[in-house]
Amino acid sequence: MRRIPWQPYLYLSPVLVLYAIFFVFPLFFSLYISFMEWDLLLDKKQFVGLSNYQEVLSNPLFWKVIRNTLLYMALTVPPSAALGLVYALAIERAGKLRSMYRVLFFVPVVISVSVAGLVFSLMFSPQKGLFNEWLGLFGIGEQAWLQDTKLAMFALAIVGVWMSFGYNVVLYISGLKQLNNEVKEAAAIDGASGWQSFRHMTFPLLMPVHMFVWTITLLHSLQIFATVHIMTLGGPNNSTNVWAFFIWQEAFQFFNTGTASAAATILFVIVLGLTVIQVRWMQKRTQWV
Amino acid sequence: MKLRSRLLLNVFLLLSVLAVLMPFIWMLTVSFSPSADPFKRVALLIPTSFSLEGYKQVLEQAPIARWFMNSVLLTSVLTGGQLILGVLAAYAFARYQFRGREALFFFVLCTMMVPPQAIMLPVYLVVNSFDWVNSYKGVIIPHIASAYAIFVLRQFFMAIPRELEEASRVDGCHSVQTLYHIYLRASGPALFGVGLIQFVNNWNDYYWPFLILSDEMKMTLPVAIVHFRNDSYIEWVPTMAAATLSVLPVIGIYTLAQRYFTESSLQSGIK
Repeated sequence: MRRIPWQPYLYLSPVLVLYAIFFVFPLFFSLYISFMEWDLLLDKKQFVGLSNYQEVLSNPLFWKVIRNTLLYMALTVPPSAALGLVYALAIERAGKLRSMYRVLFFVPVVISVSVAGLVFSLMFSPQKGLFNEWLGLFGIGEQAWLQDTKLAMFALAIVGVWMSFGYNVVLYISGLKQLNNEVKEAAAIDGASGWQSFRHMTFPLLMPVHMFVWTITLLHSLQIFATVHIMTLGGPNNSTNVWAFFIWQEAFQFFNTGTASAAATILFVIVLGLTVIQVRWMQKRTQWV
Repeated sequence: MKLRSRLLLNVFLLLSVLAVLMPFIWMLTVSFSPSADPFKRVALLIPTSFSLEGYKQVLEQAPIARWFMNSVLLTSVLTGGQLILGVLAAYAFARYQFRGREALFFFVLCTMMVPPQAIMLPVYLVVNSFDWVNSYKGVIIPHIASAYAIFVLRQFFMAIPRELEEASRVDGCHSVQTLYHIYLRASGPALFGVGLIQFVNNWNDYYWPFLILSDEMKMTLPVAIVHFRNDSYIEWVPTMAAATLSVLPVIGIYTLAQRYFTESSLQSGIK
């Protein structure tokens, strides 16, 4: 009879204790707070049932925040994934300078979001910024960018794409590397043209990479907080107020712990669905290794 | 491919690289320009005059050396902790059969996917109840268990041949000795790569240190430079100088070890 080993539990214990305190407990704690009216200063708690959820769901700002978050995702995820694929394909064919391109496209990924936020704040600045200078060259007047309700989210999306697509380039390059030889041989036998072999072979064969790129980019763009906090503070007129920022504001600016937790719980439930699909898929991939 | 189309492709890529690096060039240009109305002169990225005023201003007005040391200290401790706990957990997952292994590993992956903002308030309240707000403990300890480190290290450990481990067991090594002699020695480069990536991620981290550290003298660089901008009523030249100084370590690490970044970043997903 084999003894049950005790070592793995010992090795895992520090990690599991930390996760219990700083992940599992907070999840339930958040759920608990979301059913409470809790005055942090007086430390008075009262059970209020679903009224925090009612309050959040009947708050027009919350729906605006959801629309903003979806808009931000729509403006960042497809361009980031598409640029990743296009540049990966281009770099693959670039010859000698290939690895240099890969390294340079990746630079924005390793830069801190606060530096990116500051530099882009300046680039979008109405009188001093680089973007307006360039638009001026084409005879287009100065835009207020971050102070313009229509343009502010667009400006944030530019930063989001800039920060994320280099990662997707690297993911797609590795995906292409794995299937390149097979595809080339098969396509050569069939006498397919470049576009045909891309359309019918390369693109569909990259499906696992597409899946990974899209889910990762989607999850990241859902979490956007720092650039909003640094560049717009959710403004102007809440036009860039996104989910994470809304939760932060409710909790740490307005001290509405209950509504903040209700909004957080709703976010968590939505992300959970996405997460389970993603993790299941990742597990499947890693078991093949 | 024909020579001409390859040339065109390279021109396209070079221009794209230039566009991607534009914000950095702009940051450098502004940081080295004179404080008094620098923008008209350099707007098209052509520096017409050169000055160190911005850097002088930062060094005089802000405790930037202190912030730098804060970042170094906090990032090193956090990264070291993540590696140690990550190695132990990864070893358990990679080499032991035990009840609940699959479920626990699935759980670890889940922690990676939950948006931190979904639990920021309760985690903050937990940290607060330990009296760790505005302390490095409050920044480090909640994040010292890193799912990413566990995940990647497990991958590397699984690739190490079992025979090596069995041989060491026969030689009389117990579990911890095997971990040290076989796994850590064989996965030196992997550990180094994960460590670098985690170091840079931790160095760049904004939202959690921002939430926990309110004392200016305790701030890390990414939090502090934003604080500095707000504090200096948006004086752009010193702000860009501070931003430049804060990216130097990251650029240094990245230049020396870029291979680890563009290759190891893949380990998190696709093998």
